[in-house]
Amino acid sequence: MEKDEEMDSAAPQFSRSAVPDPWAENVRLVAQTRDRAAFQLLYKHFTPLIRAFLLKSMGSGANRAEAEEITQEVLIKVWNKAASFNPGKASVNTWIFTIARNTRIDFIRRNDRNNREIDIEDIWHEPDSPEPLVDLQQRRAEQVIKQAMATLPDEQVQVLYKAFMEGKSHNEVAEELGLPLGTVKSRIRLALSKMQILIDR
Amino acid sequence: MVSFHPDSKFLTDFAAGNLPLSEAVCVAAHLEFCSKCRSHVQQLSDVAAQMMARLEPVVADEDGFDTLMQRIEAGESTPQPARSAAQRASAASGATTMPLVVQKLAKGGLQNMSWVQLGRSLRIAPVNVGCKDRQTAIYDIKAGGRMPEHEHRGEEITVLLKGSFSDAEGKYVRGDFVVRHAGERHQPTATLDTDCICLVSLAEPVKPTSFWYRLLEPFVQYRLSGFSN
Ligand SMILES: [Zn+2]
Repeated sequence: MEKDEEMDSAAPQFSRSAVPDPWAENVRLVAQTRDRAAFQLLYKHFTPLIRAFLLKSMGSGANRAEAEEITQEVLIKVWNKAASFNPGKASVNTWIFTIARNTRIDFIRRNDRNNREIDIEDIWHEPDSPEPLVDLQQRRAEQVIKQAMATLPDEQVQVLYKAFMEGKSHNEVAEELGLPLGTVKSRIRLALSKMQILIDR
Repeated sequence: MVSFHPDSKFLTDFAAGNLPLSEAVCVAAHLEFCSKCRSHVQQLSDVAAQMMARLEPVVADEDGFDTLMQRIEAGESTPQPARSAAQRASAASGATTMPLVVQKLAKGGLQNMSWVQLGRSLRIAPVNVGCKDRQTAIYDIKAGGRMPEHEHRGEEITVLLKGSFSDAEGKYVRGDFVVRHAGERHQPTATLDTDCICLVSLAEPVKPTSFWYRLLEPFVQYRLSGFSN
């Protein structure tokens, strides 16, 4: 019995190190020592990706200069929020995506900020809640997602891409592709289930 | 025990950041009660992050790093500490605590909201989340109170924040995320022992024609017969 418990308590450490995140150390250095060199490496790697995401997802309403300004805002948040990054909860990749996503929502909603009674970050949190057991499964799930994504058929990748990268809702994707909403929904569900994301009906 | 959850469409649109604010507020409230959906949203964010990682990088003409550091050093914004443990505690931890997102909407407490009494057992506090197509509100139904039977002309999302209610379809408890579609009719009843408080997001209905209906806008679209108490 005692031995089992021992193994259980040792398991998290083992599993966590089995899911390495090359960028976690950089974020830690930024958080703890305000390390510019570590931040510059993050900047070099992520800025072109964030920029690409924002250019696609901000829609026709945003021009290149606006996309650039939002990109810079995201990087400033990465610097400022580094201390709240929880490496057990999410990869740096996912953490930075959520910051970019929230900054994008905020930009789109900027015009109606005056008559809104709530901030974007009250609705869309960054992943920071301490739930050790869930965390662990989470980081393993991320590996499964990464591997399964490479095997998805084109029509599933297409709907996922429109939803996640082009910032389109299910309804907008359906309209654009001339498909019934149900078809879009089931394609996304199929893709998600291949990545072991099993959401009940 | 939460048993009604947002479906894959709500969770995907939420994680991708494409859900209109009124609906997003409802999903966010449910997430504070439901670790299962929280973990789904996290996984969906992982999907998005993986897709972002695979995009063709767009490199700017100028590096821009020094300019960025100047902005940071000029103190445009100050470092933010990690959220406190208290802030992070989920609503599910206490039987009376409201989800953070609702506390924000209620400006600290339900008593601070502007309530509109509708009939004997129902009062409604509309909130503005900056969403044009939907009405968002907190509903407070007196213990044992019965809502007027109503038909939905637009989709209605209800997240139970306190107490429980039931209708012909079943019984709903704290944290449940209940969706009613256009055309469905129901008459929810709050359980006898406690008031029932819900967060409600209602799709903008087709403009009603009757004078009485217009009087009740923009809060509810109940059938007039429902108010004969
Ligand atoms: Zn749930």
